[in-house]
Parts: sequence; structure tokens; C-alpha cells
Amino acid sequence: MKLNHKFLLAIFAILFISITSCKDKDPDDGPVEELITNLTYTLTPISGDPVTLTFVDTDGDGGNDPVIAGGTLSANTTYIGSIELRNESVTPGEDITAEIFAEDEDHQFFFSASNGLNATVTYSDQDGDGNPVGLSSTITTGDASSGTLTVTLRHEPNKSGSGVADGEIANAGGETDIEVAFDISIQ
Amino acid sequence: MPSKHIIFLILFFQNIAFGQNCNITITGYILDKGTNIPLEFSNVFLENTGAGAVTNEQGFFEIKNVCPDEYHIRVSHIGCHTEEHFAKIEKDTLIKFYMSHHSELLDEVVIHGSHEDNSTEVSQTVNRADITEEGNKNLSDLLENITGVSVIRNGSGISKPVIHGLFGNRVTILNNGITQSGQQWGNDHAPEIDPFVADHLSVVKGVGSLAYGGNSLGSVVLVEPDNIQEDPHLHGEVNYIFQTNGLGHTLNSSIEKNGKWAAWRLTGTFKKQGNSRTPNYFLTNTGKEENNFAFQLEKKLKKEWRTSLYYSLFNTKIGILRGSHIGNLTDLKQAIDRDEPFFTEDKFSYNIDAPRQEVTHHLLKFEAKYFLDEEKIIKFKYGGQLNNRDEFDIRRGAVSDKPALSLSLFSHNLETAYNGLIGDSHFLKTGIQFEMTDNNNNPGTGVSPLIPNYRSYQTSSYWIIQNDQKGNWLYELGARYSLKQLTVKQFTRTIPRKLEVLQHLFQNYAFSGGLKWKPNSHIKTNFNIGYMLRAPEVNEMYSFGLHQGVSGIEEGSRDLSSEKSVKALLSVDWNVKEKLFIQALGYYQNIQDYIFLQPQNEFRLTIRGAFPVFLYEQTNANISGLDFLLKYEPQRHWNIIAKYAIVRGYDLSNNIGLINIPSDNISSAITYTFEDGEKWKSSFITLNGSYVFQQNRITQEQDFLLPPDDYFLLGLQMGTSVEVGESNLKISLRAENILNQTYRDYLNRLRYFADENGVNFSLNFGWSF
Repeated sequence: MKLNHKFLLAIFAILFISITSCKDKDPDDGPVEELITNLTYTLTPISGDPVTLTFVDTDGDGGNDPVIAGGTLSANTTYIGSIELRNESVTPGEDITAEIFAEDEDHQFFFSASNGLNATVTYSDQDGDGNPVGLSSTITTGDASSGTLTVTLRHEPNKSGSGVADGEIANAGGETDIEVAFDISIQ
Repeated sequence: MPSKHIIFLILFFQNIAFGQNCNITITGYILDKGTNIPLEFSNVFLENTGAGAVTNEQGFFEIKNVCPDEYHIRVSHIGCHTEEHFAKIEKDTLIKFYMSHHSELLDEVVIHGSHEDNSTEVSQTVNRADITEEGNKNLSDLLENITGVSVIRNGSGISKPVIHGLFGNRVTILNNGITQSGQQWGNDHAPEIDPFVADHLSVVKGVGSLAYGGNSLGSVVLVEPDNIQEDPHLHGEVNYIFQTNGLGHTLNSSIEKNGKWAAWRLTGTFKKQGNSRTPNYFLTNTGKEENNFAFQLEKKLKKEWRTSLYYSLFNTKIGILRGSHIGNLTDLKQAIDRDEPFFTEDKFSYNIDAPRQEVTHHLLKFEAKYFLDEEKIIKFKYGGQLNNRDEFDIRRGAVSDKPALSLSLFSHNLETAYNGLIGDSHFLKTGIQFEMTDNNNNPGTGVSPLIPNYRSYQTSSYWIIQNDQKGNWLYELGARYSLKQLTVKQFTRTIPRKLEVLQHLFQNYAFSGGLKWKPNSHIKTNFNIGYMLRAPEVNEMYSFGLHQGVSGIEEGSRDLSSEKSVKALLSVDWNVKEKLFIQALGYYQNIQDYIFLQPQNEFRLTIRGAFPVFLYEQTNANISGLDFLLKYEPQRHWNIIAKYAIVRGYDLSNNIGLINIPSDNISSAITYTFEDGEKWKSSFITLNGSYVFQQNRITQEQDFLLPPDDYFLLGLQMGTSVEVGESNLKISLRAENILNQTYRDYLNRLRYFADENGVNFSLNFGWSF
């Protein structure tokens, strides 16, 4: 129990030195998961060349701005639509479409034509519960017009909500994982 | 364990010959701690023998024919919580007991040896009785009982105190004398402290708070555990609270003993709550679990050394409203338009899923005080903290079990301080503080970190000199200097990512002056003025990313400079004929280079749509306000309390109101205290109401949604206590929002999504032995 001032000061000196001398860590540059950098919406008509709508943002949020390419569709035509999602921020790139497909009960795409675009989109796929997913769709154009086609992906939507199975987003809820607007012109 | 808050017991031994015969007389006074008013009709009772006395008009009592022995003395007074003290009586003794009859008028008093640490600063406290009665709430909600303190929330489980319009980085919280070092930058990060460890909570409504570490721009919150009573017997208490809203259980227990080798205390708290309920629906995923533990050891070494060791563990798991987890601005707009949040379930549950927070906080403190003599003390203090925070989000690909944010923060504080008289008329407080913080993102979250890894060192020194108060005047002058070095390591945002290391150095200083004038026992005036700098925090300089709750991208600016604040504060305490007590406090603060989130005229396009961008910028701001408290005791059984607080904050460069400035609020309580019966004592009933005005000083451009409307809440509280042998059982019932009012609060970040809680009843049992 012989505790004197010097002893205590020594303890504090040791503490001080040990605190100041410990090495700091470098941050981890692990891959960013769940990132979707590329969206490709391919619209294939019964005859003729397919049209691809693309969203590309390889470095994810921030950094460089994304590049969005719309397209031109023919009037009064039916297209088969299919969506492909990828994460190209990592090498090799990841296929996110398969992930959505594996969790299709928890995901649903919504399509909305606005600003005067004369087109309708219907679902042509189903999840295990018989509800639509939207990875495959059918788009039918009307007369010549131009406007915006917005593609939205909701995570954990309420698929049994009123009108949700018909592609109405209002009662879907959930979080938005994707919301991309493509400029479309119908000629 | 008897409740024995800031009570001190002063024994004056008179020179009477030592005798074994039972002719000792114990005399004394019972006074109110807050006002020094004598408490008439107080009861003093020696538990061992049953002898007792009642105080007269001067608060004086006398117990004759006492044998020399060790006594547990029980002191009670109408409207106060019964207290128990331990004393060894060997000769005629004069004892002064201080009780908190006017607890709302109490300020923070620190005792250094025989010197009462007078300060010119203004403070108010929440005492032990309130902590145990409302112990199911968290720290910040308890502090809200103090005038001028509001709370910023993220649902009912997460809250932070807002004092005089400032919060987060700008308010320092000291847990047991150590600057609380958690992830304070987040508005949704609550202080990691169990209020049950505290004997009392204080808010120092200061201008500079020079003696405290941290980065306060004025006010400081003190969480103060009590010293262990000098009682060789084992004492303890058990508190249990059940609440109907959320079917919550809170269990707390503590035991203490002044043992032969050392004095010790153990405290444990357990909380479990399920989903809260608004008047109309359950709030899905708003449960909470908490497990806390604390250990305190005190030992005197020889005569001059007093040492103490303290360890506390805080562990919590808090659910965040499921419907508040949104992906983009469209989702937010949709949520705002709904009456009821998405994912609302129609049944109660204790489940806590994602989104949720899991936080563990360890604090280890060692303190040694060396008494050079009665008036000169040297203190050594070490505080080490480890804070682990994991935040879980709803994630795709079955990784919801992996945290989206995982941070580990290590901090060390070292302090050496000296307090003592210089000359025979002045008192000096000085110290050197060293703080080191190391904050790291734990790898493997798969999410770009919101704030980078950093390490900071800060060395500070302060000097405060005051006159030794003898007359009516107390004055105080102080200065503080600190040097902070910050090193940040992060990867660049563009591909290919490169590691960058950035260094910053901040020199900050502060000056303050204070004046206290107390011409008589009925009036007290404090005036304080201070100038102080605050270095920008890491989040203000480097945060980068999407704020889930509010759907905005927040970006730091690395070239921010320190904030420079001038604050002046004037307070007047007026006691009118010992029936009416008035406390009025006004303050004005000007902050040059005030750091805030400025919405930009820019939307950033991401795959989830366009997000508004908020940048940390600097402006000149001023904040002013008024805290007003009135207590009226028309007669013995009745008392009425009214509180009123307003705060105004303006951005002077942009000529608009500051965001997150509390609404004006007024509250009132009327209490009837029953005469103590044979069996039932300290029985009371209180009706309280509070009215919160709409915060109408911000514009549509500053927020996604304008502040909600005014609201009025009504509450009721009643309680009683009964002596069972040598122990005491307290029972109380508290009802909040009895009218089951549907309302939203401006400072709750979930106001975009859901209503506040509906009616709640809490039943409280407190057993002390």
C-alpha cells in the first residue's frame, strides 16, 4: 500500500505513452454490395431490331454522373421487354438479375409512361405466389408521341395491395431500389 | 438504499466530555437544499430506538436521551422523498439536513473537501427520485424536465438533448466526469448512458464551460453518480416499472456497502419494450432492449488520498419504425401523404428486426484525489471508452443480418487538475486535459462508409480564478486553450479508388467571465459572458452519403473553419415570501461560421432517382431565448409549477430561421400532497399539462414538410410510500397523454412518417433497504 506521487505519475506517463503510440488502421476498401450500376431494358419487336434503354453509373452514387440513354420506338407496335441488372463496379461484374429472380417475391418492377408518352406496359412473368415481377414485360405503343418511361424497382412491396398486381405503384410501399426515367420517342 | 441526492450532512462536534451514559442530545436543522428555507413540521426519527422529533418554524429539532451508538436517521417532510442517513453518535451533536423540497430550483453543487464549489454558472438538476420514477425513459427524456431543454428524437426510443437550441456536437455530456465519447455526430445516435447509474442529472446552462472537455459551445450535461454513503451496512434498492404502451418492463437494482477494505456499489438495469402504439395504430418495429451494468469502488488511502474506480457497460438494441425506411424521394413523398405508415401491423410484437441499431458502450474510469490540505486538491483522472455501433438496414440478397454501418470508437481521456485557494481570498481551478479518439469503420459491411476512419488528439489547458465568496458578490474569470490534431484516412470516390490521408490542425481558445450577486436569501442574480471556438467535427468535414431517414445526400466540406461563439446569459432567482419562487433566464448567442446543412439547388441523379444534396456550409447565426420557471405554494399541501421556454435561431446571412430550433412550449403542474398517515406516507397526486406551439419560423424550402401543428398533452401522476420494517416501498402511477391525443412533434425525425405515442400508464414499485 505504499502509493506515492511518483508511482502515480509513472502510471499516468505509461498510459499517456501507450495511448499515443498505438498504430492506426487503414480503412477497408471492400466491395460495395447491393450496388446496381447498370440497367439495360431491351425492347424486342416481333420483327425488326431491338431497342435498348440503358442506365450506366459504374462508380455508384457520387463520383461521375450516370449516363442514361433513351430510345425511339415504332408507333402501334408490341415489344417484348426484358430487364438486365449488373454491378460493374467490381471485376468481374456481377449479375444482379439473378439475385432479383431468386428473391422475386420481394421485388416488383413498375413502369409508368408520362409526359404524353403513348405506351402501356404489362407484366409477362410471375413469382412463386403468382404475382408479377416485371423482369419480363410487354410494351405496346400507340400513336406517335414522345415522353418519359419510368422504370421503378421496389424492394419488399406489398404485392397484395390494391392495384399493385396490375402495375399500380400507389399502394405498393416498400423501398425504391431503382427509379430511372428514360426519354422515349414514338414515331 | 435511502435516497440521498445532493444532500450533505455536516456534523459539528461540540466539546462535551465523552460519556457512555444515555444523555446525549442530538439537535439540528432541516433546510431546503435549493433555497435554504427552514422546513417546518419535518420528522426526524432514529430507526434503532424509535425516538424522534418534529422541527419547529426555524427548522430546528432536538432529540434527548440518546445513547452512544451507530444510527440510521430517517428524515421526512411533506412533499419530499424520505431520506436516510447513517451517523455514529458519540457525544452531543448538531446536524444539518438538507432536503430537496424545491427540487426544481436545485442547482449543481460540487463539494471539494470543505470548500463548496460555488460557480457563477447557472444549472438545474433532475434528482434521484425523478430518475427512479421515470427510469423507463432514456436519459434525454429525463432531462426534458428541465426548463429550456428539448429533445430531438428518432422515434420514441432514440433521443438527444437540445439545450438552448444546440445539440449533438455542440453539447458535451459528461458521464461521471468523463466526456461521453460515442458517435455523437448523428442526430439519430442517443447518448449511451443508463440514467439509473446517476444520483442526479444536471444541465449547466453555461456560456463557456471551460473546465470540461469536449466541444461544447455553451451548455453541458452532467451525469453524476453519488459517492457511496459512509454506512458499514449493506443497502440497496430495487425498482420495477411496467408501462402499458409497448408493454415495457424496466428492472433496476443496486446494492452498496462501505466495506472494511473499500466502499463499493453495483448497479444493473434491464429494459424490454415492444412496439409502441399511437392512438390509432401500432408502430411496427419500435421495440427496445437494454442491459446495463455498473461497478463503483471507492477507497481512501492514508489520509490524503481518495481513489475511485468506475466501470459501466451500456448495451442496447433499438428497433426503428419499419415504415420510415425509404429508398428515395418518391417514397418519402408517398410516406408523407399517408395517414398510417407502410408495414403497419395490426398486432403487438416484441420483435426487433431491421432497421435497427445495436450499441455497446464501455467506460472505465480511475480517479485519484490528493489533498495537500483541506483547501488544496490535486486530481488525476483517466477515462477509457470503447463504443461499438452497428446499424442494420433492410438489404437485398439476404444480408440484412450484416450491419450497413459498423463503427468502433476508442477514446482515452487523461486529466490532471488542481483546485485550491491562492492567497486567502481567491480560488484557483486549473487543469491539463488530453483526449485521444480513434474511430474506425469495421470492415465487411459492403456499404461505403458514411464517415471516414479518423484519429484525433486534443490537448487542452484551462485556468479559472474566482473570489472566495464571503460577501454578496462572486466573480469568476477563465481561459482555455486547446490544440487538436485530426488525421483522416479514406478512399477516393472515383474509380480507381485511392487511399488518401488528410491532416488538420485546429487551435481553439475560450474566455469567460461570470458574476453572481446574492444580496440576501431572497434574490440571486447570475451574469455570464463567454467567447469560445469549436473545431468542426469529422462528419461536418467528411460525411458522404445518403441519409436514409430523410432522403438527402449529405456532404462534408473539408475546409470548414472553427465556429466562433459569443454568448451572454442573465438569470434571476427571486423568492417572494417563501411562497412564490421565480427563475427567469435570458440568453443571447452569436455564432460566426455556424456550421449547418445547406440544401443545394442541385439534385444528384442515382439509380434510385434524383436526391437533393445538402452541403455542410458556414453562416453567421444567432440564437436567443428565455427560460422561465415559476413555483407557487399557496399553502402546505398545494404547489403549482409553471414553465415556459422559447428559443429563436436565425441564419443571419440567408435571413431565414435555423432548422431544428425547438418549438415554444409551456407546461404546468399542480400537486396536492397528503398529510402523512400512520402507514402511508409521502402520498401525492399531480395533474400536469403541456402545450407545444407550432414552430413557424422555417420556410417550405428548408424542409420536406412544414412543422406540425400545436398540441396539448395532459398527464396525471400519483404515488405513496409505506415503511416495511427498516425498508421502504414506494408505489407510483404515471399516466401520459391521457386524452390519447394524436399529434406529431417538430423535433421528431419520424414526423414525416408517423404520429407520436398515444396514452401510456406506468406503474412503478421502488423498494429500498
